[in-house]
Formats: sequence, C-alpha cells, structure tokens
Amino acid sequence: MTQHQARCLILACGNTLRGDDGVGPWLAEWAEERFRAQADVCVISRQQWTPELSEEIAHSASVLFIDCSADSAPGVVRLFPVEPAADTLGLATHHLGAPELLALGRELYDSLPSNALLLTIGSGSTELGEAFSDPVKTALHNACSLLEKTVLRLLNGEETANQFLV
Amino acid sequence: MTQTITIDPVTRLEGHGKITIQLNGQGEVEDAHFHVTQVRGFERFSQGRPFYEMPSLMARICGICPVSHLIASAKACEAIMSVRIPHTAAQLRRMLNMAQMVQSHALSFFYLSSPDLLLGMESDPAKRNIFGVAAAKPELGLAGIGLRRFGQHIIELLGNKRIHPGWVVPGGVTEPLSQAKRDEILAMLPEAYANVKMALAAYKQIADRFQQEISVFANFPSNYLGLINEDESIEFTDGALRLIDPQGKIIEDGITANRFTEAIGEAVEPFTYTKFVYYKPLGYPEGSYRVGPLARLNIVKSMGTPLAEKEFAEFKQLAQGPVESSFFYHHARLVEALYGIEKIEQILTDPLILDKQVRATAGVNRLDGAGQIEAPRGTLSHHYKVDENGLITWANLVVATGHNNNAMNKGVLQAAKSYVKDGKFTPGALNRIEAVIRTFDPCLSCSTHAFGQMPLAVSLLSADGEVVDQVIR
Repeated sequence: MTQHQARCLILACGNTLRGDDGVGPWLAEWAEERFRAQADVCVISRQQWTPELSEEIAHSASVLFIDCSADSAPGVVRLFPVEPAADTLGLATHHLGAPELLALGRELYDSLPSNALLLTIGSGSTELGEAFSDPVKTALHNACSLLEKTVLRLLNGEETANQFLV
Repeated sequence: MTQTITIDPVTRLEGHGKITIQLNGQGEVEDAHFHVTQVRGFERFSQGRPFYEMPSLMARICGICPVSHLIASAKACEAIMSVRIPHTAAQLRRMLNMAQMVQSHALSFFYLSSPDLLLGMESDPAKRNIFGVAAAKPELGLAGIGLRRFGQHIIELLGNKRIHPGWVVPGGVTEPLSQAKRDEILAMLPEAYANVKMALAAYKQIADRFQQEISVFANFPSNYLGLINEDESIEFTDGALRLIDPQGKIIEDGITANRFTEAIGEAVEPFTYTKFVYYKPLGYPEGSYRVGPLARLNIVKSMGTPLAEKEFAEFKQLAQGPVESSFFYHHARLVEALYGIEKIEQILTDPLILDKQVRATAGVNRLDGAGQIEAPRGTLSHHYKVDENGLITWANLVVATGHNNNAMNKGVLQAAKSYVKDGKFTPGALNRIEAVIRTFDPCLSCSTHAFGQMPLAVSLLSADGEVVDQVIR
C-alpha cells in the first residue's frame, strides 16, 4: 500500500467550494509546487481528515497540519504545536482533527512524529463560493512565508515543537 | 397520556437524522419514525444543464459513494446517446465500482458498527468509536484502515482523485488503464484479502453474542430487490433487477433501467424528506422491500467468485429462505467486500484490460434515458429527460436509502418496542435503536439531497405531542 515515509508531511484540509475553507487546499497546492524538488516532503490535501491518514502521520518524522480556523480573527495566521488527543468522547468517524489523528496513529502504529504543528488561517467567510475573503487574501503571502520557513526548519530537525509557537 | 421519545442526532451514520418514539397512556411504544429533516435539490438544479455534465455534477451528491452516482448517471446519459460502451471501459468501471463498494463497506463495518460489535452495545460511549476498537483490537483497527485505503487508492489510481473522480464519462472512461497501475493494484490484493478474511473471522466469532439484537433489529418478513446477472449471480454494475417475496419466490425479474419507472414508485410521508420507494403492482406500503447487501445475498443464487461463494454458502445456512434480520447486513457486507476484491482480481487478469479503446462518442439520439446500478447501500437509479439540444428538462434519482426507508422505520419501531419499557429507555436502548439504523448503513445526504450538516436526535413524545424526553448529541 502507499505508505509515505516523509521527513515532513504537510496535511491540509478544506472545501474549495466554501470560501475561506479552501485556504488549506490552496496552501497545499502552493507547498506542492514550492517543494516539488524535495522527495522528503509529502503534501496531502483532503476535504476532510479521515482515520486512514493516521498511518501517513505515524510514519512521518514531522507533520504540519494546515486548516482554516473559525476561532481566529479573519486573516490571522497562527502556528502552534499539536498534542495527541486524550479524550475521544463524541468523536466523529468521518472527520478527525489533528489531535485525534495523532492519537489514532500512536494507538495503531505505536509511533508519533517528533514534531506536529498546526498552521491555521482565521476565516472571514465560509459561504458558498470559490473566492477568499479580503482578510484571507491579504494573509496568503504571510501564510506562504510561514509555511515555507516552518517546513525548512522541520526538515532541519533540530528544533522542538514549542519553538515554533507564533 | 401518551409520550414521545426523541433521539437526536442518531450517530455514526452517513449524514444525520432524528428518531421519534410515540408512547401511549400506559407508557408502551405505539409508533416510531425515522426522520431525515433536510432537503437538497439536485434534480431541480440540474435542469438546464447539458446532459454530459450530469455524471460529474451528480457525483457531488455524496462524498462516500460518488462513484455510484457517476456510473448510474453515465449509464443514463449513454441511454440518451444510444451507445454501447467498449468492453474494456465496462470492465474498468466495474472495477471502480468494486473498489468503492469495498471502501464503503469497510467504513460501515469497521468505523461505524465495529465499536458496537467488538466493544458491546452497552460499552462506555466515550470509547465506543474507532479509537476504542484500535485500543481493544488493534489488528482489526489496522485491517479496517487497510481495507478502506485499498478501495480508496484504487479509486484514486483510476480516477486520479479519491473523491469525485471525473474519469467516468458518458460513453466510457477518459483514459485506459496503464500496466504500472494494474501491477500496483495487483500488488495490493494479498493484504486486502487478509484484512477482509480477518474481519469475517472476527464477525463470526462475536455474532452469536447478539442473539437478542438479531431477533429485534428489523427482523421481519419483507420483499427484497437487487440487480442480478442472467446466470442468477450477484451483479453491481449491469444486469437487471429482481424482486422476491418474503419466501424467496420471484415476484418480477428482468426490470431493466428503462422499465424502472413502470415497476417502481415513490410515496411521501409528512415526517421525513426521504421518499418511500415501493413496487407499484403491490402498491404502498405493501410493495415496500429492502435493498443492499442483505437483499442482494437473498436474491442471488451464487456469488460467481470462489472465496465469496464459500462464504455465501455459509451465509445461506442462517435461514431456510431469505435471511430476515437486518443485523445480518453486517455479515452480508463482509461477504460482498470479499467478492469485490476477487472481482477486482478477475478484472485485472482480463486480457483486454489494458486496451486503449475505452470511450464511445455520440450526441443526443433519445430524449429520455435511465441507468441503474447497485451502490454499496443498494439499488440506485438515475433517470433524465432532455430537449433536442441535450439540456436536462427533468431528472429523478431513486437511492438506496429511499428503497429501505419503510424497512428502517419498521425496524426502529420493532427495536423501540423491545428497548423502551414503562415510558423509559432500558439500559443501552438508545445505542441499540441507533444501531438498527446503522445496519442499513443509510446515506442520508444521498437520500434527500439535502445541503449542509445533518445531525440526528431521539424524542419521547406524550400522547398530546409534548416532548417528555429527548437525547441530542
């Protein structure tokens, strides 16, 4: 089966038909192009994160999750470490968050990436449509820059997750 | 005073719904309904679109079984074009359909139902999920993930996308299979076989513990409908429909797609947006029936592949005639998953499978066309009418959850009568009532074509309609 052994896995989530929710796939496409020459970077973009992704995550040295966020102000780009979920009550089986995927990977494969980070972009609108809101459009440059910097640092493998806090 | 119990939302389903249970003055269950409460409008907003856009448009109905809608839609378009697709294209589509069936059945069994089966109906709800399965039976958690990945990866290899692949088009498929892709799929088969065999063994080991559930999980005589080949073996992509009665006697055979609307009707009820599909000559609701894995194994005489045939023979030992309890949908689903893997292997060894001729072309040659296939959950029909320019003027989709709607409602009532006593849920009742619905593996977003999220609830209503208890998750 296709099992990625990436040094850095970029895992994006979002629906390109729901406005700013599509920013994850957009950034994944950007990363695919930017890191095309690097075989140790693997980019996966999905409409939603499902349990089977736990295998790729568990077998990667580091993982950078990318998603839009309804909790942040529109256009605000954040980067923070992610820990495996401790509580799985009310867990959805079709869509998992980054902490649940890490926990499932640890449970099934007894393995965790040494660094797991989540990059989020605050959404302005997730109404039907393929265009981003103005705050997200403005934030794209910063998001790409942070994504690039983070992946390069993860590939160096010298730093711990806490040092990535933004 | 009568009362009503509401379960809202019903969990671990494809989509979301609500159950209400009506009690009489003595606190006994009088009636129960399974509601799907939101509506979509795919039939309406496809009007005016060119017919050749329909497969990719219809695939958007569902993220779980887009392949079913793609193929049924393409077949309806081919009826409008009056073309017969090349042999290789038909085989490749059949393989795509099998891949989707395997991944969908894996999702239903491992992700949605195995927490109940492996951990118990009354186990801690906090652990009754895929994490709990992974902790208790890691080898089964891995098998589930492996089997789902197997199906999804084949879809991705053939269609270049895991969800909503655009490879199936009216007239065939857009590109042939490469040698490299064939070899990659062949290399995946041993692990897929091992995973499904492990699931079958695990299911058989635990099924006996659920005798009480087997007895009340939609366990009643009904008619059954599904596609069948001329040799009476199971069929998912071509063939014609067979309807049998509760004793297994054929009511009607050879219902082709263009005769579907002669034989099959749709009724509506005020409590749900999902239609109630029935066999017209018997009327509604007497003409109701079940579709999907249980129905398919009840209507066929053989599976047509060696390993599945052996499992099928064992499955048929469960009853003298048709197997009635919907609990056995789980068993049938695993037999079908095994069949799907065998069928994929058979197709890959077809000497013409790498042939480059995979698409027929034509314009509008008929103003009316219908296509039918077996989706993982049961029979799916697409029927379109077009004008002389090929623009859709009318569309109707009849999906598996609609076919099963009457049986699901009867099943909820049967289970509620067993698990609601003196106006209250007995321990584990809520999950068991939900689990009845899960046996059918309904796809609610498909069934109503509703937009947005669909959470499901259970309400307990008094005789005068007052909500006396409600569970919303």
